[in-house]
Amino acid sequence: MTVVACLKWLTPHDADDRFGGISPADSSALEWALRLGEQRGEDVLAITVGPAAADTALRDALACGAQRAIRVDAVDELLSTDVAAAIASAIDGVDVSYVCCGDYSLDRGTGSVPAFLAAQIEARQALGLIEVVLGSDVIALRRLDGGRRERLRVDAPAVLSVEGATATLRRAPLSGALAARNATIEVVAGPVGSHLPTARRPYRPRARVLPPPKGGTLERVQSLLSGGAATKSHGVPVELSPDEAAERILAALDEWGYA
Amino acid sequence: MAERSTDFDAIVVGAGPAGSCAAIELARAGKSVLLIERGPFPGSKNMYGGVVYPRILDELIPQWWEEAPIQRWVTRRSTMIMTPTQALTIDFRSQNWAAPPYNGATAYRPDFDHWLANKATDAGAQLLCSTVVTGVLRDSAGNVTGVRTDRPDGDLTAKVVIACDGVNSFIAKEVGLYGKADASNYTLGVKETLALPKETIDERFGVRGREGVDIEVVGCTEGVNGGGFVYTNLDTVSLGVVLKLPKLAAQKKRPEEIIASFKKHPAIAPLIEGAELKEYSAHVIPEAGYKMFPKLVGPGLLVAGDAAALCLAAGIWLEGVNFAMASGMYAGRAAAQALTRGNTGPDGLKPYLTMLDTSFVLKDHQKLQEIPHLVLSDRVQNQYPGFIANIVERMFRVDNPTPKPGLRRILLEERKRAGIRWRDLLRDGRTGMKGFG
Ligand SMILES: Cc1cc2nc3c(=O)[nH]c(=O)nc-3n(C[C@H](O)[C@H](O)[C@H](O)COP(=O)(O)OP(=O)(O)OC[C@H]3O[C@@H](n4cnc5c(N)ncnc54)[C@H](O)[C@@H]3O)c2cc1C
Repeated sequence: MTVVACLKWLTPHDADDRFGGISPADSSALEWALRLGEQRGEDVLAITVGPAAADTALRDALACGAQRAIRVDAVDELLSTDVAAAIASAIDGVDVSYVCCGDYSLDRGTGSVPAFLAAQIEARQALGLIEVVLGSDVIALRRLDGGRRERLRVDAPAVLSVEGATATLRRAPLSGALAARNATIEVVAGPVGSHLPTARRPYRPRARVLPPPKGGTLERVQSLLSGGAATKSHGVPVELSPDEAAERILAALDEWGYA
Repeated sequence: MAERSTDFDAIVVGAGPAGSCAAIELARAGKSVLLIERGPFPGSKNMYGGVVYPRILDELIPQWWEEAPIQRWVTRRSTMIMTPTQALTIDFRSQNWAAPPYNGATAYRPDFDHWLANKATDAGAQLLCSTVVTGVLRDSAGNVTGVRTDRPDGDLTAKVVIACDGVNSFIAKEVGLYGKADASNYTLGVKETLALPKETIDERFGVRGREGVDIEVVGCTEGVNGGGFVYTNLDTVSLGVVLKLPKLAAQKKRPEEIIASFKKHPAIAPLIEGAELKEYSAHVIPEAGYKMFPKLVGPGLLVAGDAAALCLAAGIWLEGVNFAMASGMYAGRAAAQALTRGNTGPDGLKPYLTMLDTSFVLKDHQKLQEIPHLVLSDRVQNQYPGFIANIVERMFRVDNPTPKPGLRRILLEERKRAGIRWRDLLRDGRTGMKGFG
């Protein structure tokens, strides 16, 4: 059987490939694939869907210990479904145990390729993992909404997608680094980006989980409505004649900067 | 040394200009050569002021100017003598330098070094990046037999190792080729890369198209012995200072403060007004030249470029890349010949010294050996700029109704005011003439 590591090559904005690379999450995924391969005595196959420059990522994977590398040649930006289909077709015929992916790539990735891939190859899926434990079973910890966690036993065949902090990619040994420079990378023709939606949406940053704000609801609403001025209580009960009251109001407005 | 089986014929440490030229020579001679670089790609970790003089590449890459990643061809060279309120500029321009075979050129190191290393791999050298050489392997007789790297199972053997690992070469030190380190042999170079639109640079520096400017400055370093430079790239300006290390430490000044005051000088500020800071970098320069050279040949080891302190830093000249390329080329050539002869011991590698001796590399250094010391001396740094600038100021000042003073009187008065002794002036003049003359 074979463990597969999916790596996405990120092309820098100025298209200078010297500064290209893979996401930290993909590096973690590769490390998990290598550990799984060692533990299970299986080969590791590194795969990428990308341009020729992406060979660098595959060579790095070979240097670290992957046995085989496939690049699905694709220069266009593709939909996640197309990427998943391309990977599924390239590994068709490979007896896959686990597929390791990063949870999402740094280039505003949506993290959906692993899910589509699991569907394509009819494998189980455990996505967005924050911890993986390799024992007699593969145990994975998943982040759920509201700070909850889910611990799963993930049997093969399965697609795992891991966060970048779950593992640090090992340093490639010298022999591996030397051999990888001339190793064969299998290149297969890939899809062209014909399915990309024509209308591009502006960038929406990924939502971040923030701690709940301090204070009661009313206080927070007041604080928002008054630009922060209402957090201190300004109310002073006074009994004044209409003239005095008008004077007092004007003085207060003046004091608050409205005059 | 007896013939032994090794992983490579030669290992070159450092893919800077010296290392790549060494690897080109070895690979072209049909030797198996591995070029090891610690950065993710050649040039990624390297900085310098910004002007290369690649004439020596005529030998290695004919018509190099058609493909080298050059920013601008230097057609204007200025030398500026500065005091806080004055600046005297000697400006030279030659259109002969705007066409092949050119003279100096500005280039970014990540581009230039990368290009040069590609020439080595094109010739058949193997390049291994992101790998740090952490030590040399030696046999019981002390001969260098390979290198140790920071990777697991990281030892590699070779018949010759060429250390091109830049200034402070720990390989040369480890093998005992350097004497005791002396901080006064080094300067610290700090540089800002400032972005401006190309048209603005063309206008402010008076150039067109790919023409560029090289300005060297004395007297701009706030009393810390050193110098300054301003070079034009296509859409950035490289501006920096070079500072003598012990003086910098003694005066407790921060290099960035000195750069900031240099940038504010009335002669410099208008050139860079509105520019956006893109990069700040710093690097040490082996400045003492001839006086600090290590032994250049060890058992199974050659040292080239900054690793051998071959950088020429002599006032109006700040040339290191050409010295690195040439010494690397000669090291590669000597190593290839030694490999062919089957003698890579110190005797076999000695022709390297002859090649350096008969080329500009050691000839220039020999001739200019007193100059780095002179240029960085307290008088040249702190007394002469004011002395010269005041003479010129008085020459051009109109003090009516006082009649114009003669040059001789100005000279005498200003010498006195600057507190310069005739003896020192003559001695420095003689040293300068000996070097430059
Ligand atoms: C501020 C400043 C301004 C300068 N201005 C100019 C100028 O305008 N013109 C000019 O010609 N020269 C200039 N120089 C000098 C010039 O930069 C050097 O002389 C030249 O770079 C020397 O080339 P090199 O190949 O010997 O060393 P480097 O360029 O330093 O290259 C050494 C290489 O070795 C690698 N390396 C180091 N240690 C290891 C290791 N242990 N394992 C693996 N790899 C390693 C480094 O990453 C690097 O790539 C300047 C220098 C400075 C600092």
